[in-house]
Amino acid sequence: MIDGLGKKLLFFDGGMGTLLQARGLQAGEIPETWNILHSDKIKQIHKEYLLAGCDIVKANTFGVNSFKCKDTDYSVDMLVSAGIRLVKEAISEVTAEETMADRNSAVRYTALDIGSLGKLLKPLGEIEFSTAYEAFKEIVISGDKAGADLILLETLSDSYEIKAAVLAAKENSSLPVIVTMIFDENGKLLTGGDVASVTAMLEGLGVDAIGFNCGLGPEQMKRLLPELTACCSLPIVINPNAGLPAVVNGNTVYNVEPPEFAQSVKTLVEMGASVVGGCCGTTPAHIKALTEACKNMPIQPITDKNMTVVSSYNHAVYFSEKPLIIGERINPTGKSKFKQALRDHDMEYIYKEGLLQEEKGAHILDVNVGLPEIDEPKLMEEAVTGIQAIIDLPLQIDTSDTEAMERGLRCYNGKPMLNSVNGKRESMESVFPIAKKYGAVVVCLCLDEGGIPETADGRIAIAKKIVKTAAEYGIPKKNLVMDALVLTISTGQDNAKVTLETLRRLRYELGLHTVLGVSNISFGLPERSRINTAFFTMAMNNGLSAGIVNPSSEPMMAAYYSFNALAGLDEQCMEYIEKCSQQPEKPKVAGGALANADAKSAMSLEDAIVKGLTESAYQATTALLEQNINSLTIINDKLIPALDIVGKGFEEKRMFLPQLLMSADAAKASFEAIKSTLSKQGRQSESKAKIVIATVKGDIHDIGKNIVKTLLENYGFDMLDLGKDVAPETILAAVKEHNVKLVGLSALMTTTVVNMEETIKLLHEKAPECKIMVGGAVLTQEYADMIGADFYSKDAMGSVRYANELYEAGEI
Amino acid sequence: MLDTAAIRDAVNVREIYRYMGYQGNVPDADVCKLTDEVLDELLQVIEPKSIYKRFECIVENGVVSLYDLESKSLSIMATSRNLSDNLAQCSQAVVMAATLGIGADKLLGRYELINMTKASIAQACGAECIEAYCNIIQDEIKNWAGKSNMYLRPRFSAGYGDLALDIQKDIFRALECTKRIGLTLTQSLLMYPTKSVTAFIGITKNAQGCYSKSGDKCAACDNKGCEYRND
Repeated sequence: MIDGLGKKLLFFDGGMGTLLQARGLQAGEIPETWNILHSDKIKQIHKEYLLAGCDIVKANTFGVNSFKCKDTDYSVDMLVSAGIRLVKEAISEVTAEETMADRNSAVRYTALDIGSLGKLLKPLGEIEFSTAYEAFKEIVISGDKAGADLILLETLSDSYEIKAAVLAAKENSSLPVIVTMIFDENGKLLTGGDVASVTAMLEGLGVDAIGFNCGLGPEQMKRLLPELTACCSLPIVINPNAGLPAVVNGNTVYNVEPPEFAQSVKTLVEMGASVVGGCCGTTPAHIKALTEACKNMPIQPITDKNMTVVSSYNHAVYFSEKPLIIGERINPTGKSKFKQALRDHDMEYIYKEGLLQEEKGAHILDVNVGLPEIDEPKLMEEAVTGIQAIIDLPLQIDTSDTEAMERGLRCYNGKPMLNSVNGKRESMESVFPIAKKYGAVVVCLCLDEGGIPETADGRIAIAKKIVKTAAEYGIPKKNLVMDALVLTISTGQDNAKVTLETLRRLRYELGLHTVLGVSNISFGLPERSRINTAFFTMAMNNGLSAGIVNPSSEPMMAAYYSFNALAGLDEQCMEYIEKCSQQPEKPKVAGGALANADAKSAMSLEDAIVKGLTESAYQATTALLEQNINSLTIINDKLIPALDIVGKGFEEKRMFLPQLLMSADAAKASFEAIKSTLSKQGRQSESKAKIVIATVKGDIHDIGKNIVKTLLENYGFDMLDLGKDVAPETILAAVKEHNVKLVGLSALMTTTVVNMEETIKLLHEKAPECKIMVGGAVLTQEYADMIGADFYSKDAMGSVRYANELYEAGEI
Repeated sequence: MLDTAAIRDAVNVREIYRYMGYQGNVPDADVCKLTDEVLDELLQVIEPKSIYKRFECIVENGVVSLYDLESKSLSIMATSRNLSDNLAQCSQAVVMAATLGIGADKLLGRYELINMTKASIAQACGAECIEAYCNIIQDEIKNWAGKSNMYLRPRFSAGYGDLALDIQKDIFRALECTKRIGLTLTQSLLMYPTKSVTAFIGITKNAQGCYSKSGDKCAACDNKGCEYRND
């Protein structure tokens, strides 16, 4: 505990870097090595800050981590424990001197100061979430052991890295955790998060205080602070720079002097900050001016904002009077294509479902990847990681498998929603601890050991029981969203009435937010969307906070926008007008509409592919299939010859890469039409052979590889894409596991071609029957020969030709 | 955002076509239209950020040493014949880092899933946007250098000629790239976000061979067979 945190004004110390430079730190030197090399100087700076009146001193450990320590002679533990020790010595020396002078001594605290690892996390960056976690864990364990009083995670600007750091801090120590982040003048983290989203995540994870440091001066933070006070229910920490770093004649300077700094920060205290100090450019003089200017100032009371909120990496979504749309499509229940995609590990299919729902106006996406025959925990983690890399919406982790739940929540970049818990003791005992740990908003089903009560009274009683039990786990009401449950009216005519009454009472008597899987109401009835839309409107009018629906259903979305307009939740009906105005009918296809299957009047598949027209290609293929033309005939007689025309044009430089890819995209659409027909017939498309493709270790460029992959897929090969920055051993393992005879490797940098060579050596040694084709900007035929590749492909078409040759020769 | 508007103005669409492999040809109308579309989408998601710092520059025996102007301490030391040639006449040098931010990478990832054509065009647009952004920064530096009758050399990045990528470590430390603009360096010394540039820009009294506007950026590179080469 930090005595007085959130009750009275506390002071942090100021900057360290500029002071060290003034004392002779060389620019290339790692400042933390001074904890050992020049410990007297570090301790002296701590003492100066203590004498200036600060309560919390940051140990000189900001940049210590296993990545940076590689460049020094010291271990993380050596630098961290020395850093903590120096603060503790400084505190005891200053306190001893004070006692002698008979002054009123206060309690002072040592903060283990942890900054960014300087690495971006996967899937957009280089390191795994778990690797980041381990790096932070090492620092936390050292700092805790050395006797730190609290952990300060500071100058962080990536919510995902912040989550790894917070989990490491909380799982490996019981110290208070304060998180301060670096926002730009627009109130954005460098990775795009805003104040509300990251605050929601951090409150959920149970940190002790939240705030800003670095990046901005106190004046700029004044503009940003109201955003934080509006959503934050925790003490607020502000450690600004001495002004904005101004570039004067090519040099970075901070130019806010101590008196001006103190006055600005004083205003920040009046606005709601309860712990203040300084960052870059601030000195003991700044902190002295600050402690004097703010002496005995009261702090603003800290209040619970009591909002139900979930967040993605970049924005927060609040539950309010205006209902939300939770997209239900990422779920295999009743969808044979989706099930097949899960079995085939076709992640692209899942991501596309997500993208479509985002486009159609969903606010939150439900993610359910449960099938009996698959490894659900693993797939849940993969799906969540993959979806959040390309989609901005908050996710609702939907599973009954607690391991899948935990893994999905852990890797989630934000404050998640969790679907679901119910009133059964066993369910609450297994779900609530996980929900509490990751700060999830939990969907609570109003059923228990006795089943689903037939009456609203029965469901309300269960809701009350759930709320009470959640509180025992430390989960507040605001983090519970109640599912009133929907049973089809085809089996009980009062079913809708009971649900609506339950909704109303949950919302207005118990003050809880609510959710429903709306379309269950019409199960077993014809023309389901008519019943669904009517019920959806009724539910919204009876207190529904969020509907789990299909955002691609136009009637449902029309009901949604209409309700908002009618309920006064759509200012000047702007959203209704924007979404529901009649769109002028777009011509479906360039080159003529395809109203019927008469292929002669429509564009031929060959033309559509050569011209790169995706929609025409899809429709032409469907038309051919409807004429009962065999899919193999379509592929071999129409699709491939058309691709060959474009490929040849590309090789002869009459056509260019975008045209080649447009044709590839059109061919892909054609394949989708074929796949969809085959899956309706319960069949799968056949492929020629499996090919492993990867960008080699150390290389992060993967567009070239992805282009090659797309083209080879078009020519009927089954592509196993291992991604970028792939270790030789991983490639070998995939080759062995899938018994693959052809590998494509890409490298774009001279520096990574060595890893390509290493991969080739390993494969030739351990999988001699496997051929290797290579490509990439820096490669040449000579270079490829030198590193032992079997084939050098100068462009994407080259790899197609080679793969086809091998296939025809029966070698793959 | 101001920077985004400025980048839009500075973008040379013919360069984008060149990155797309058109080698001086102009694409057909469909591709041109698609390029405009992708460029617009990209400009909406980028968050350009940059930082630069001026150093004292000493070139001796193929080694470039850059010293902090205030503390006089050695900040960056590069062993490179090509960089030495580039900075030979320079008493000072600016080291810069610029990025379009993670939004560009996210957009690329999205396109690679749903539309490879747009992905490849976005790749080219991103390359030109970061170049255009660097040109804007370089012009800004040129303006204040011009006030003291100094000229700028063409900018020079790690990985050109014989300048090894190792120098990125020094640059990242000296400019605090991660903290200031969110740039990170991988183990293999490549940068995330991917649409980013670090560069040396020499400052000299000698006007000859100096940077005028977008400049001859291929001149220092030995890869004469490169299909993107523009001389």
